Amino acid sequence: MMTRIPILKLRECLIVSIQWELDDQTALAFQEDLLAKLHTTAARGVVLDLTPIDFIDSFIAKVLGDVINMSGLMGAKVVITGIQPAVAITLIELGIRLENVVTALDLENGLEKLERELED
Amino acid sequence: MNREIAIYIQKNIDKILERWKAKMEDDQDDRFFQIMSDQVIDTTVREFGELMVSSLTASEETYDEKLKDFSVQIVRYGWSITFVLRALNNFSEVIYEEMEEEGSLNESNYKSFREVLTNWITPLNQSVVDAYSKVWEKTVNLQKIALQELSASLIPVFDKISVMPLVGTIDTERAKLIMENLLQGVVKHRAEVVLLDITGVPVVDTMVAHHIIQAADAVRLVGAKCMLVGIRPEIAQTIVTLGINLTDFTTTSTLQRGMEQALALTNRAIVEVNVK
Amino acid sequence: MNLRSSVDIITEWDIVAARQLGRNEAKDVGFGTVDQARITTAISELARNIYLYAGKGNIEIKQIAEGNLKGLQVIASDKGPGIADVRKVMEDGFTTSGGLGAGLPGVKRLMDDFKIETVFGEGTVISATKWLR
Ligand SMILES: Nc1ncnc2c1ncn2[C@@H]1O[C@H](COP(=O)(O)OP(=O)(O)OP(=O)(O)O)[C@@H](O)[C@H]1O
Ligand SMILES: [Mg+2]
Repeated sequence: MMTRIPILKLRECLIVSIQWELDDQTALAFQEDLLAKLHTTAARGVVLDLTPIDFIDSFIAKVLGDVINMSGLMGAKVVITGIQPAVAITLIELGIRLENVVTALDLENGLEKLERELED
Repeated sequence: MNREIAIYIQKNIDKILERWKAKMEDDQDDRFFQIMSDQVIDTTVREFGELMVSSLTASEETYDEKLKDFSVQIVRYGWSITFVLRALNNFSEVIYEEMEEEGSLNESNYKSFREVLTNWITPLNQSVVDAYSKVWEKTVNLQKIALQELSASLIPVFDKISVMPLVGTIDTERAKLIMENLLQGVVKHRAEVVLLDITGVPVVDTMVAHHIIQAADAVRLVGAKCMLVGIRPEIAQTIVTLGINLTDFTTTSTLQRGMEQALALTNRAIVEVNVK
Repeated sequence: MNLRSSVDIITEWDIVAARQLGRNEAKDVGFGTVDQARITTAISELARNIYLYAGKGNIEIKQIAEGNLKGLQVIASDKGPGIADVRKVMEDGFTTSGGLGAGLPGVKRLMDDFKIETVFGEGTVISATKWLR
């Protein structure tokens, strides 16, 4: 029953595009899969594209925040892309600011931003 | 009985209106009698009397329509609603007083007379109140729409840079609309920097500041940067006095300065070209 | 008008079912995308709280009308442990489970009306309404 989110590798980066509504198990499995993949590939950056996601609740937000922090510990920068206006507004109203998260409008911008960040 | 009263009123209309007018003039709350010319007052009073009579003599079938016409007319006078309700009640009171003084009321017809008056005035009151609240509702809605139209569309100025000028007072509902327009605009125009121009916002209190901070946060989440421009000296003062923390944001006093910074952020600048 | 539908929250999957139902109802009432997201998120928070803290319960979603206002009401009820200090759980960041503690205060901000009735040791009923503007 559980779906796994595909994780692609492009040069030094991992690209994750979340295509379905995230249930809790999938979100947690994704967290593990991503960290494992970071470990095996030694990737230095991750672009997490959320374009198709139409809502994020506090649980998913926590998983995302955790993933970002854990990735940071493993030496990888995460850029989140494609957060929809409706999702951004609900997150803010929930009181979740995702403060230190790097964001970009879409996958392309995200990759650019990541490359720039990795250069510095 | 209806007819009797109607005939009575028609016969004595001048006397009734005179007395009613006197009663209404005592009323200092409404300025109608103070500011209108005698002529306007006279015609209006007469018209009002006729309206009253015609509402009393309407047949069963035409009654609802007459009632509606009546309130629509009344609303047109532009009287305050308290004034209108008092006018209606005073009118029936005057009739009662007149008939009593004249001796045409006695124990046998008193009760049915009261009934007629109540059955006549109560629906009039109701209908007038309905008409007024409809007008108010319409006005409020129109104003709401007008305010929404005032609020905020995102203007793409350069590639990657957009400006949203805010004009007028910001309340919670409008703030939500602004936030939605802002974010949808950012995504649609693929803006990397948006300048929120508050030159036209008269007051920035904690509530407004809070909404602006939220909007900027949401803009960051969709992947762009929000700058606050057009901060006038008095706004800067209130912001600091209220202890509002805007240090996380880029702010500038003028749109121009903000635009320069936005260009710099997107690795561009405006240069002068010398053409011979 | 009084259309209602409900989902029993027993497994984690029921959280997904409840929010999908909520999204459909919100669309049906005529809410825009932002309000749909607000409602879906609120339902998700309430349903997950039931699952986490009460074990099981129910999410009821009602289309309601008041005057010429239309709205959607979400009622989350359970017979779990109840909440000892309602004021405390409405504070941002208060959590007994290592969450963000954003759920309940967040739901209050996302929706227009919000009410908690709880008896310690007996259960909790939370109702939240969004009005269509
Ligand atoms: N239905 C319930 N029954 C009993 N206790 C509850 C219930 N709902 C919430 N609580 C209590 O209220 C606290 C706050 O809930 P809230 O949803 O705000 O935050 P959280 O669930 O801890 O974290 P988050 O929702 O951000 O992941 C919970 O930690 C829990 O102790
Ligand atoms: Mg919760």
